[in-house]
Amino acid sequence: MSEVGSLSNGVNPVLLIAVPLGLAFAIPLFALFWKGAAKYIPPAALAFNLVVSVLLLPQVLENPVIVSIGGWQPPFCINLVAGPVGVLFSAIIALVGLLVSIYALDYIKEGPTEKYHMLYLLLLTGATGVVLTGDIFNLFVFFEILCISSYALVAYLRDKAGIESAVKYLIQGAVGSSLLLIGIGLLYGQFGTLNMADIAEKIASASPISLFVPMVLLITGLGVEAAIFPLNAWLPDAHSSAPSSISAILSGIAIEVGLYAVARVIFTIFGASNILLFLALLGILTLLIGEICAFSQSNIKRMLAYSSIGQIGLILFALAIATSYGVTGGLFQLVSHTLAKALLFLAAGYMIYQTGSLQISALEGMGKKMPLTCLAFTIGAFSLVGLPPFIGFPSKFLVVRAALATKETIFIVFIGLALLGTVIEGAYFFRVVQALYFKGEKVNPGRKEAPIAALIPMFIFVVLIVIVGIYPKLVTDVLNSAASEFLSRTEYIKAVLGSIL
Amino acid sequence: MSFLNSYIYYIGAFGLIFIGLYIILVKHNLIKVIVGLGILDTGVNLFLISVGYITKGTAPIFSRPGIDSEHMVDPVPQALVLTAIVIGVAVLALALSLAIRLYQHYGTLNLRRIKEQRW
Repeated sequence: MSEVGSLSNGVNPVLLIAVPLGLAFAIPLFALFWKGAAKYIPPAALAFNLVVSVLLLPQVLENPVIVSIGGWQPPFCINLVAGPVGVLFSAIIALVGLLVSIYALDYIKEGPTEKYHMLYLLLLTGATGVVLTGDIFNLFVFFEILCISSYALVAYLRDKAGIESAVKYLIQGAVGSSLLLIGIGLLYGQFGTLNMADIAEKIASASPISLFVPMVLLITGLGVEAAIFPLNAWLPDAHSSAPSSISAILSGIAIEVGLYAVARVIFTIFGASNILLFLALLGILTLLIGEICAFSQSNIKRMLAYSSIGQIGLILFALAIATSYGVTGGLFQLVSHTLAKALLFLAAGYMIYQTGSLQISALEGMGKKMPLTCLAFTIGAFSLVGLPPFIGFPSKFLVVRAALATKETIFIVFIGLALLGTVIEGAYFFRVVQALYFKGEKVNPGRKEAPIAALIPMFIFVVLIVIVGIYPKLVTDVLNSAASEFLSRTEYIKAVLGSIL
Repeated sequence: MSFLNSYIYYIGAFGLIFIGLYIILVKHNLIKVIVGLGILDTGVNLFLISVGYITKGTAPIFSRPGIDSEHMVDPVPQALVLTAIVIGVAVLALALSLAIRLYQHYGTLNLRRIKEQRW
């Protein structure tokens, strides 16, 4: 295969997809000989992905690395575009996936565990493929790998709630994928190409009417996975019935990757600016509905799932502002939500395991019984609400600043509603924190902390949340480059198609 | 009549898509919904293949010496449909195995009654 763009340290982005994919299929083979081997392979594969992503990152901030598969040239080949956005997302997927797979070493004990680990690695391979690809049908294929693995993983516990949630998720997700495929077919029929950069180049010559139907179909199809209102009916059931490590991955990675795909379609392929206001409205609606529904929940995982819906609404709103501040703020909010929500689900997993109940009222007094886990939960909750010195504060601040900088009344109204949503969010999270620390019997029960394999990932999440919260400059350079990749279509087109000259 | 002649494949494909969507949205029985999902997939695949059809074109294989690429249909949608058929089969297989488990838990396949997850 031929690579264009300097690969000065020789790392090929194809490895980011090929290695986890190969290891995922090797897991059942290893499990034939030694049953316990299956749970160590995902951490190994994801550690490799994390190292490769971090090595690629300084290089792609200047020039994206385009990898053309099969020796053909773009636009006839399937190509990977490892730009700032792709490698940033790939690094986040690898980091969160690695930490949750370490958590799963002790958390997943019953059932066909080797199938869990294989599906887990396939889910993350699909996610990495979605963010790195430059071809729209390849996006569909990796998107399906991500979705189908998540349908099966939601049903992993095979209990009543899990199976029911998985069936509903599957039906809605499959309809969404079919709509996505119809949209891709319409785009191909009109432009004769599947390469994202090529379609982007040819879009200028097409009439806006003929682009409307494919765009709506693509946004609807991808929006089911991205959990945009009104397509998010599956999310509360699926995220609350899955095992907690899978809830962390679904809330932290799967819906964010869906939102990345929506952003890629809107910004890079269509370059659509007239639909942005509608998307901002949808974002605020999603935010308000998510936060209000979360406030009335008594089941903690369902509360966290509705909170995910709310945060996705906020990220969509920030991306729809479409200025440099807006997209940077949206991406920063995405990173902060991923870290905080994964931490919340991981902590909640062991708290539920100790009490045996999903109700918030059962968590009273856990602050004394599991001090470290509850501290991690509290830090995740404060970060999500947006308190300093955690990562949620600079990210929310950037979003608010972006909305105010547009100087349009509608965005100022929207950001006012978003801050109202934040107040509601603070209310229900503080209710949980109050139950953890300030309620429950006064008698001191024995300490029964989560195992060490769970404490290490939670500790690393806490450290990341605090460090990036205090020094946001650590990530803002990468986020700024990523935002400019989304906003400057012509640079993207030139990078991919110009490479054949 | 000529309109029907040139667009019959698209009419058929979208007809299947709408039938599939109707079944998924309206029917109560889970097996019927899964059948509707299958019909939806078939409709989408038929649509994709029709996009690639060129009038009086033949299969895109260099099967005899005189053939040239101007008289072939577009091979790219055929590759897309092969992939899409396989994805559809995998989703249907997963849906049916989930339906078996669901029946074991609830004793019914009526989606109106399988609503334990509420607000």
